[in-house]
Amino acid sequence: MIRGRKSRWAMLLCLLLAVALLAGCSSNKEAAEGNKDADKSQEEAIKLGFLGATTGDVANYGIPGKKGMEMAIDDLNAQGGILGKKVEGVYEDNKGENSEIALIATKYITRDKVVAMVGDPCTGLTKVAADIAQKNKVVIFSAGATGTGVVEIGDYVFRNTLLDQFAVPSVVDWMMNSKGWKNFAIITSLNIGYSTALTPVFQEAIKAKGGKIVIEDTINNGETDFTAQITKLKNAGADVLVFTGYYREAALLQNEAKKQGLDITLLGGDGLYGHDLIKLGKDAVEEKVIYYCGFSSDQPSPETDAFIKKYVERFKEQPDMFSAQYYDAVMILAKAMTDAKSTDPAVFKDELARLKDYPGVSGNTTFRADREPIKSPICLITVKDGEFFLLEKIPVKVQ
Amino acid sequence: MNGLDAAITQYIDPYYLRIMILLGINIILALGLNLITGVTGQLSMGHAGFMSIGAYTSAILSMQFGFSYLMALLAGAAVAAFFGFLIGIPTLRLEGDYLAMVTIGFAEIIRVFFLNFEPGGKAVGLSGIPQHTNFITVWLIALLIIALNTRLLKSRMGRAFYAIRENEIAAASTGIDTTRLKILAFTAGSFLGGLGGGLYSHYMYYINPQDFGFMKSIELLNMVILGGMGSIPGTILGSFILTLAPEMLRIVAEYRLLFYGALLVILMIFRPNGILGDVRIYDLKKRWGRKEVKTCQS
Amino acid sequence: MFWEQLLNGLTLGSTYALIALGYTMVYGIVQLINFAHGEIYMFGAFAGLILVSFFGFNLIAAMLAAMLFCMLLGILVERIAYRPLRGKSSRLSALISAIGVSIFLSTLMALMAGTNTHRYPEVIAHQSYHLGSLDLSLMQILILAVSALLMIGLQFMVQKTRIGKAMRACSQDLDASYLMGINVNRVISFTFAVGSALAAAGGVMVGVYYNAVWPYMGMMAGLKAFAAAVMGGIGSIPGAMIGGLSLGIMEIMGVAYLSSSYKDAIAFGMLILVLLIRPQGLMGQKISKKV
Repeated sequence: MIRGRKSRWAMLLCLLLAVALLAGCSSNKEAAEGNKDADKSQEEAIKLGFLGATTGDVANYGIPGKKGMEMAIDDLNAQGGILGKKVEGVYEDNKGENSEIALIATKYITRDKVVAMVGDPCTGLTKVAADIAQKNKVVIFSAGATGTGVVEIGDYVFRNTLLDQFAVPSVVDWMMNSKGWKNFAIITSLNIGYSTALTPVFQEAIKAKGGKIVIEDTINNGETDFTAQITKLKNAGADVLVFTGYYREAALLQNEAKKQGLDITLLGGDGLYGHDLIKLGKDAVEEKVIYYCGFSSDQPSPETDAFIKKYVERFKEQPDMFSAQYYDAVMILAKAMTDAKSTDPAVFKDELARLKDYPGVSGNTTFRADREPIKSPICLITVKDGEFFLLEKIPVKVQ
Repeated sequence: MNGLDAAITQYIDPYYLRIMILLGINIILALGLNLITGVTGQLSMGHAGFMSIGAYTSAILSMQFGFSYLMALLAGAAVAAFFGFLIGIPTLRLEGDYLAMVTIGFAEIIRVFFLNFEPGGKAVGLSGIPQHTNFITVWLIALLIIALNTRLLKSRMGRAFYAIRENEIAAASTGIDTTRLKILAFTAGSFLGGLGGGLYSHYMYYINPQDFGFMKSIELLNMVILGGMGSIPGTILGSFILTLAPEMLRIVAEYRLLFYGALLVILMIFRPNGILGDVRIYDLKKRWGRKEVKTCQS
Repeated sequence: MFWEQLLNGLTLGSTYALIALGYTMVYGIVQLINFAHGEIYMFGAFAGLILVSFFGFNLIAAMLAAMLFCMLLGILVERIAYRPLRGKSSRLSALISAIGVSIFLSTLMALMAGTNTHRYPEVIAHQSYHLGSLDLSLMQILILAVSALLMIGLQFMVQKTRIGKAMRACSQDLDASYLMGINVNRVISFTFAVGSALAAAGGVMVGVYYNAVWPYMGMMAGLKAFAAAVMGGIGSIPGAMIGGLSLGIMEIMGVAYLSSSYKDAIAFGMLILVLLIRPQGLMGQKISKKV
């Protein structure tokens, strides 16, 4: 008897859930259709989809990116939109997961009918979305993917970041000749693609220039205990520590080094750019961390200056590389659409590929024949008095 | 997206199609875990490990060795099954949470292995996997697996699995070869895990080791327990809810995981044995039958 | 270098041990893997951070207050998410409920504090001592001393006090204890409170030691602590201590002398090996099963 009642409850609950979920499905669909109707009355706004995480482990890159994108869209609309049409951003959180970004990219393309997607900051995630974008003939413009094999996916795929393969040889050259550092230690963040892809670039450049790698080690992104690695490093006799991961771990590595009495400069890529580096590292990173990137708030470029002022006014915080690159990405897309006099991705993508010397807020961008961006100059940035400080600008030598 | 799916997309929103495909894959994965944990009662918290073995093996075989889709899937599943067999052996000595720890450890070791695995692209992951998986293949395989599972659990061997879960010693004393069956459950379950992984990698185009972390194992375990341990309809329902809930909860944006967590707690409080705890398809049939009789009498 | 690495390992291991104690105590009594335990540790770390940076508490006061806060949190979690399930469901349902709580709490903190890592202010000025070639920092000494103190205190409580006796009785047989007039619900609440307080102490110390806390720190720490508890023999208090310390040392030594890329694999591999040789864990008791 009791069993019977229980299972009847089970059936009821099960039925209720199914109905609720189906209702959710259909109401969503209705909402989507409602949106479509609303769009018609607005006479088709140009839609741009945001790719990035606002929760989860890589939310630190997505959140500022989203802000930069929002600001760019508002700026565009204040100037009258693109080709007289209003611009609209669609924002979903991909949590930094592959299956999520694939779903979101599909949703953007088929339901929101975006003409282009901006993002993702991570190389791997960008590849997933790029494949979908290419197959559906929608432009994807990554504002952060520095690894290889991104634009090769197809002619709808673009990015605007300083590529490591162009920057690293110049940076290594600077380390060896301007600084006289000959013995290198390299630490890799084992569980992030960005880092495992950047490490070989450094290894090759160091080998090619005749430097010596005295110790190689790995850490895991997201951990806090690096005591063993630092103790090892202390006994290795390196002049400089090349760290290819992100800023959080860089700050923690330097914290630990300071505690163990190890005085060494840490150098890395633009993954080290984030204000948390300073917040977390405090005096341990003071003039002890150098990174290279295509963006510096100390650049005297008027575009950058105006962008920083406006950003600080609006969000009450300093912009970072991702906000600047997302901002640029939207603006470059707008320029391409305006110049091509079309919002059809198949048309404006060709205009986009011809971009030359675009003076963006994150540096000058030119697309090479293979659509790889060349950004120049490289800014070497350090931390001074609790602020990012432009140490030196070095030109990019592209072979 | 290939031909067949393109034809379907004329009638179904591709966004829903994508969710349906993921649901199919999740059902296959969850049914595999259900066999190990739900039916036989061996707590496994490392199912994503088997999934990653299947995903990587089949992806590498079809990318670099020119295996056909079906062969790659089967090979991936077979390799996963072999590791399932290996993990099954400690069950002879370990039980309960000790076994759970071994499965967690195993999945973590596999993840670390793939993080260091050069042909798999290390943390960068593997991209450019041919996209053979589509709606038809996933659901054909899923329906086949459901049918086979139903038959298996109805059989003598299926009842023996349940007996091990209920009381291993009693089961052994009635002449059930518990050792063999436990290893068999692990092997079959991880075969399905590997199969699901292969389908996943041939659908996603890109995989990386972080896709198969501890949280993925937990998600799969949630599907089995939430729906009702040991019940095939329950596992399907659990997969259905947990695949769709995150999509439904997209409305609440950043509060999504908050609701997801609360949902798990609330569902467990109100249905402590899972939504369809131990309801089997033939039980349902019987029950409806009985009910009819009752109404006739009254 | 060996001694220094050993010290690093001991320090890391003692924080694992503090978290593992909570796992093992709860498990010993209700046979539940309390997956939300790592999140309680994270809340403890954040509570300490807020007290230190906004209310100017000193380390000891902040730690005690954070322990108190987490006691309440632990009791609350038990009341809401575990007690309604007790007795009428399989252990696995409670496990899912615990996972739900864990996801809920870490997301809650991520919403409140942001997903980024926060710096812990330096409550104690950094100081190091040289013992021959060995560098010993004040913080390391403090962590080792506080953990040792807490563990001895716990052992005393469990072995010598009335409530400890009740806890031991409950861990042997919940139903029989109930029949003997022990207020089982109160004992369980108390166990959660003590376990949570130890996790909070661990959280505050980890925060101070590494100068960093973040909302997702509980997940991996919880998993490692669970591994430690199982390795030591889940349910056994000295086992959790030994398991935590040996896991910490294994990890650090893995990085120092084998390969840092395979660090976690080495630690988990050793764990599996231990379990294969001693299925009941290092200190666990072998219980012969009856039908």
